[in-house]
Amino acid sequence: MREEIIVSGRMNPFIDPHLNIWHWQIPTYLFLGGLAAGILFFAALFYLQGKEEKYRTAVRVAPLIVPILLVLGLFALLLDLKHKLYFWQLYTTIRLESPMSWGAWTLMVVTPLSFIWAAIHLRDVFPKWDWKYQWLKDLEAFFIRYKRPMAWVIVIFSVILGVYTGILLSAFNARPLWNTSILGPLFLVSGFSTGAAAIILFSKNPEERKTFAKIDLLLIAVELFLIIHLFMGFLASTQVQIDAANLFLGGPYTAPFWILVVTMGLAVPALLEVLELLKYRIPVYIPAILVIFGGLMLRFIIVYAGQVSRWMY
Amino acid sequence: MAIDTLKCVGCGDCVVACQTENEVPIGFCRDWVVEVTDGTYPQLEIEIRSERCNHCENSPCVRCCPTGASHYAEGGIVLVTQNKCIGCGACIASCPYDARYSHPKGYVDKCTFCIHRVKKGLDPACVAVCPTRCMYFGDLDDPKSPVSMVLKNRKYKTLIPEAGTKPHLYFLI
Repeated sequence: MREEIIVSGRMNPFIDPHLNIWHWQIPTYLFLGGLAAGILFFAALFYLQGKEEKYRTAVRVAPLIVPILLVLGLFALLLDLKHKLYFWQLYTTIRLESPMSWGAWTLMVVTPLSFIWAAIHLRDVFPKWDWKYQWLKDLEAFFIRYKRPMAWVIVIFSVILGVYTGILLSAFNARPLWNTSILGPLFLVSGFSTGAAAIILFSKNPEERKTFAKIDLLLIAVELFLIIHLFMGFLASTQVQIDAANLFLGGPYTAPFWILVVTMGLAVPALLEVLELLKYRIPVYIPAILVIFGGLMLRFIIVYAGQVSRWMY
Repeated sequence: MAIDTLKCVGCGDCVVACQTENEVPIGFCRDWVVEVTDGTYPQLEIEIRSERCNHCENSPCVRCCPTGASHYAEGGIVLVTQNKCIGCGACIASCPYDARYSHPKGYVDKCTFCIHRVKKGLDPACVAVCPTRCMYFGDLDDPKSPVSMVLKNRKYKTLIPEAGTKPHLYFLI
């Protein structure tokens, strides 16, 4: 038997024995960004389809929490920065090669739009709401006039935001677990699925809940399909990616991934939603909360496991 | 830079010289020594390498930097502009050699090939102090530079070339 012993003199904090530079802030932000993208996408989409009255929660009520989600996410991102006072340097340049630069500028577009979208629906959700000042009322009327083009911009940018949360990680060739283009669509679909689940939680209209349960079911199916492809791709790839897949196939992340993400976050809620559509009485919030929980766990596990996976030399 | 793995004895002088020259905070390092023992007793083989940033030609760290703080200096050395760095950690995650670290002051730090010395015509601190003279430094575009000369005459390897970064740290074997 041949043996190889590697002794390294390097012991840099956050780098050794394995990378540990990104903590809870990044997966939390990725989750909140995906959730916000999902809610915004459905709101703008159903508005454009002229179903504003039919799906009132999706178009008007659920988007009210999006500005809060995005601000919390941005705050988590700021906490992650180690040279915080220089954060404005992000907005002095556009670097097309850097996914993080793309993300910073996407957030610059999506965040104000989410505030505007929430603001123009405030009076509808809270009938007693009064903007008090005439200029605020004028501003509201101005944005309502341009609601349609705004909805189109939101549809496009919410997809970019959803994909970017995955691309951010998949651009790192140094971390074999992240270095797969499946991560973009996987995080997009997972984000939209958590968005649909959040709409189910808020909705009081059985028909709307049923529609979003169907949408969520479809998204869960796509997500499971993407997860299978993820592992097929890894196992057919180079040794470093086979090692990355093995973190989930017998390695230290096996139990968290298959129990928390695949079983609790995807399979169980899918089953409950199917039973519900078959007219069994199941409290709607159970599958919805499980989907949201699964989305959060997916991001935590991928971010942490990715930092363990590496090239060996 | 080329490093002769057959001459290196792993004394760690390069590490200490770097820490002193560049005022690297205690507990951190920009260069380090790796020992690889291969085989089973009595058929043992040992390779000792002094490692640092590879100053890649296709640097993932420069590519992923959202502010342009990580950049190529004239001549190809990869540097970080401290007051442009926001400390997001993307470059640290992107480096397959894990050559970067987060400086306690917030910005990201790494080997600069002692560019302040090189500009004066001196060798980097690690090269200058090496007691076995196992390191060769110079301009790869200049066929007469010490590094070009030694690479012409010796067999060498780079670390994980399959990562596609085109590293410029050569290990003579």
